[in-house]
Amino acid sequence: MSAKLHEITLTVNGREERVAVPAGMTLLEFLRERLVLTGTKEGCGAGECGACTVLLDGRPVTSCLVLAVEADGRDVRTVEGEARDGQLSLLQRAFIEENAVQCGFCTPGMIMAARGLLLRNPDPSEEEIVEAMAGNLCRCTGYEAILTAVRRAAREEREAR
Amino acid sequence: MLGDFEYARARSVKQGCKLLAKAGGEGAVLAGGTDLLVNLRNGRASAKLLVDLKSVKSLDRLTVSPKNGAWIGASVPLNEIALHRGLRSRYPGLAEAAWTVGSYPIRNRATLVGNLCNASPAADTAPPLLVLDAVLEVSSPRGERTVPVRDLFLGVKRTSLAKDEVVTAVRVPPVSAATRTAFLKQQRVRGHDLAILNVAGLYDTESGSLRVAVGSCAVTPVLLPPLPEPVRTDAGIDDLARALNEIAQRTVSPISDVRASAEYRRALLPVLLRRLVETLLQPGEVRR
Amino acid sequence: MSERELRYVGTSVSREDGLDKVTGAAKYTHDLALPGMLHAAILPSPHASARIVRIDTSKAQAIPGVRAVLTGSELTVRLGLYLRDKPILANGAVRYQGEPVAAVAAETLDAARRACSVIDITYEPLPPVLDARDAVEPGAPLVHPDLGSYEWMKGVFSPKPGTNVAHHQVIRAGDVERGLKESDAVVEATFTTAPVQHVPLETHAVIAQALPGDRAEVWTSSQSPHTVRHLLAHAFGLPHQAIRVHVPYVGGGFGGKAGLHLEPLAIVLSKAADGRPVKLVATREEEFNTIPSRQGIRSTIAIGATKDGKIRALRATYLWDAGAYADYGVNVGRAAAYSGAGPYAVPHCSIDSYVVYTNKVFGTAYRGFGHLEVLWGVERAIDLLAQKLGIDPVELRRRNLLHEGDRTITGETITAGHGRPDLCLEAVAKEIGWGQPGERPKDSSKVRGKGISVLHKAPAMPTSTSCAVVIKFDEDGAADVLVSGVDYGQGTYTTLRQIAAEELRLPIERVHVVNDCDTSFTPYDWQTVASRFAFMGGNAVIQAAADCLRQLKATAAQAFETRPEEVECEDGHAFLAKDKSRRIPYSKLALGYTFPNGNSVGGPVIGHGRYIATGLTHLDLETGQGHPAQFWTYGAHAIELEVDTETGEVEVLKVATALDAGKVLNPKLCQGQVVGGVVQGLGSALWEGFQFSPDGRLLNPSFTDYKIPTAKDTPHEIVPIFIETPQPDGPYGARGVAEHPMISVPSAVGNALHDALGVDLFDLPLTAERIQRAIEAKKART
Repeated sequence: MSAKLHEITLTVNGREERVAVPAGMTLLEFLRERLVLTGTKEGCGAGECGACTVLLDGRPVTSCLVLAVEADGRDVRTVEGEARDGQLSLLQRAFIEENAVQCGFCTPGMIMAARGLLLRNPDPSEEEIVEAMAGNLCRCTGYEAILTAVRRAAREEREAR
Repeated sequence: MLGDFEYARARSVKQGCKLLAKAGGEGAVLAGGTDLLVNLRNGRASAKLLVDLKSVKSLDRLTVSPKNGAWIGASVPLNEIALHRGLRSRYPGLAEAAWTVGSYPIRNRATLVGNLCNASPAADTAPPLLVLDAVLEVSSPRGERTVPVRDLFLGVKRTSLAKDEVVTAVRVPPVSAATRTAFLKQQRVRGHDLAILNVAGLYDTESGSLRVAVGSCAVTPVLLPPLPEPVRTDAGIDDLARALNEIAQRTVSPISDVRASAEYRRALLPVLLRRLVETLLQPGEVRR
Repeated sequence: MSERELRYVGTSVSREDGLDKVTGAAKYTHDLALPGMLHAAILPSPHASARIVRIDTSKAQAIPGVRAVLTGSELTVRLGLYLRDKPILANGAVRYQGEPVAAVAAETLDAARRACSVIDITYEPLPPVLDARDAVEPGAPLVHPDLGSYEWMKGVFSPKPGTNVAHHQVIRAGDVERGLKESDAVVEATFTTAPVQHVPLETHAVIAQALPGDRAEVWTSSQSPHTVRHLLAHAFGLPHQAIRVHVPYVGGGFGGKAGLHLEPLAIVLSKAADGRPVKLVATREEEFNTIPSRQGIRSTIAIGATKDGKIRALRATYLWDAGAYADYGVNVGRAAAYSGAGPYAVPHCSIDSYVVYTNKVFGTAYRGFGHLEVLWGVERAIDLLAQKLGIDPVELRRRNLLHEGDRTITGETITAGHGRPDLCLEAVAKEIGWGQPGERPKDSSKVRGKGISVLHKAPAMPTSTSCAVVIKFDEDGAADVLVSGVDYGQGTYTTLRQIAAEELRLPIERVHVVNDCDTSFTPYDWQTVASRFAFMGGNAVIQAAADCLRQLKATAAQAFETRPEEVECEDGHAFLAKDKSRRIPYSKLALGYTFPNGNSVGGPVIGHGRYIATGLTHLDLETGQGHPAQFWTYGAHAIELEVDTETGEVEVLKVATALDAGKVLNPKLCQGQVVGGVVQGLGSALWEGFQFSPDGRLLNPSFTDYKIPTAKDTPHEIVPIFIETPQPDGPYGARGVAEHPMISVPSAVGNALHDALGVDLFDLPLTAERIQRAIEAKKART
């Protein structure tokens, strides 16, 4: 039962972490339990709901299906890294103002999926927005306000450049 | 924790094979993890050692050329495949199939090779690779071999691969400019879902060869027996679809499960086959 | 209320809790940890019905890190909100596949799960009863052979010992047989809905700690801290003060977190583990398979009308498939019955609503509280009647909707303040272009159709339901609002913040509704269900704010050396009405006022307000007559959809939803409720439903095969429309709208499918497969 520990080094929200983890620990567990970054949520543990979405080397992944050891040498960004110096990003602000947040449990995953989209494509089409966000389930909002928030954030971030 | 297993990152294919061999049949290759880790979590699979080959440089290559066809390394994620310009233009059916697997974040991890080796009868990449006559490149301590995709699937979640074999790539033969491929998938929701039924077709407008494969209708994805005659580009869609359906209904053996009944699958078959041939023979008309 | 213009109420103020949620700072029960905390896992039953012959936990006890292993035989407590039929862990028998049979608390979750997997149980499987029709047959296996020995709420519910009937609700108004005979046209049909699950994104979670002196402290993802405390106190025979319940942020509820779920088990585990805190979180599979659902229904409805379309009679029998335990199910069966004629004037009505035990995962409260299930049948039956009479479905409804002066089937008289279902109907009919042909689909294999439905619901709550609010001030003159209602996404804290700011005459940035609930100091609220929190909480906030102003004015009057009547408040200041330049900010009044010479008067301002349901009565057990409704909210939907006639797939083009909200307190929040509720309603309509094997195992306990709508499955357009007929006793005239957007959505879909295809469907969900089969069957008949 005492699992072998693997030494890994990874960057989380810009900060380097050097830790020893067992093979069976998922990146999600690592973030929530080891680093106590509880913003990323577990909704199903099987990659179906997207609540655990984080950016791995800038790309959105379901962290419940990534082993912590696989993140060795990689860059991880979670919702806690979205605001900079205490300032909300335009994306976060759009979520609040468009009422894209109800119970909020899907929100971190939604924000990271959206951030992944805007990193790779600052001017996404409607279809691209839906494709990027559709892997994240929400039961409260019916999605409309979330898509509106992402659309608005894309526009505002382009204008801010 | 997903389980009690150990993890090893292989530096080469050879090392990966050695590690698997040492695990004595209780090892598994960890590619994207979007099937394996799910199955380890729910107890449908068990492994003592996960061997990760994603650091092996050669395996993340994806090349497409008119002369040599496509070479898709085992580590290439499905998004990269689906969005690869060359692949989309040469093998649209394959690109489309890759794009329908799971959701966008899942496809950043899930691989084509993983989709095949998981060997679900509903595997979306299987029908296009069957009609394209693709081939798996396989390594083991005994050396290298190739396995045509049509010889890969033995049953539900069962392949003809040995426990110490590693698939390093999928090689798709070159196709002429006269070749068209297409893929259709029937789901319950429009969002990410497993296929109730999926079909792929390859049509060579010059030779008239039409190859069709069907998934989710038998214990493995199925390449349909060929039509007796080559298909002319001006062939009547209705007759062609009917002929294909007759072959398909004789060949497949759908079951009723929680996703759909056997009757519904049989009812969908002619619909999807017809839409497939419409797409292949009348590609100019945008249907949906 | 003064003539002053409203500053906040009626505007789309953003949520205050948005900041916590978009940064990941919001802590849900899933995220909490206590020092010394253990993790728990449960072992579910593999059988739908079985006798537990033997349990051997010795191997589990031996696993390193295990601190407690419990089985049902050690626990004598029986739980149940209305009918105490449920053990904490199955004892002697299991009644549904998925029922918790044993539980382990250990240092790690892995150790707890491993321990569960080595608990050795010998079962003697028994024949399960899986269909409510079979369950009511004489000689059916009894899910609760000891039903007669249970306690239940007398005078409200009527279980039938010796049968599987947990409750039988009757409504008898007029003479239904005569009414049907007098009708020129009668339609009768049977409708079903499959059981569905709430699917909150945050699964059920609890941390419990058993404290010395027979006390307990609980953190739980719940909609009702006081009900959790109340039921725990009852169950364990403890005074309420012995139990403290905290509710942090909650990741969705939809009724599924209304009552008691994992809390008792977590408490007894903690007790068995020497008082170490125990965290128990449902996996997603357990959320589907173990945690309760929305019960299914089989309803047989007959409606008769004269040839000019006046409804004379409605007769209905409901068989609710309650699953293995009564939970809220008996109340759903009661409440949906008194709404069971829809928002129509029906002179003769007879309803028999049976809540029936079966060996399946049991039903609990779910958004709509039985109304979606019942109105699925009623609103489809109205369309069948329209077809038979040759009257347009909108016109038929128009001729029968309740108006001022009409009586409901429980004998309540409709007043001008009730709301206007007719205006809702007209609004959606207009928005969808009713009567005008829609655009033709481009694809020849597709057809389009339009469907209409109406809805109504009143809060299903005890006649004594109440809510209390406390407002206290900070040194800087800002106000904190303390409530025990829970904002689990619907936005009510924002609404209450708006009302408080308005009534306190404070800028809204200086008003804060405290997010965490704690039964030790947030004042009593019944439950956050039934769409009554904004209504009752709003009224209580208004009263509490008035109390605060009284105190502030009294203190200010002393400072101004005048009478309180001469003092006004605005913008966080108290000032002399006849000389506005003489003003004192709340910060100098809220903790008392100090004169220049040091003398102090007044004191800390604490306002309290409360609201109790008024004029409600029990329903007569023989006739169902009575006054159960604090207010009715009426609504209507119009849907246009497109069907692929070859595959049966449905694409919803447009949904227009009108609700008579009385007063829209926050437009964006109300729109959010409508869009979310409509999509959830479409889930019930088109895709969602539990499937069981012949031996009663749940076949789709995960997202792989239980599909909820994704961002790709939404209608092209949802148009929320709000009618505002003031509710006389509502805050600013508002009434609740939280559940209503979901109700009757499936009915409108079913009606639209008839319009599109000429087929009539009776069973939810309306899957592509079922629609395709109906299309084929129609082709075969013609």
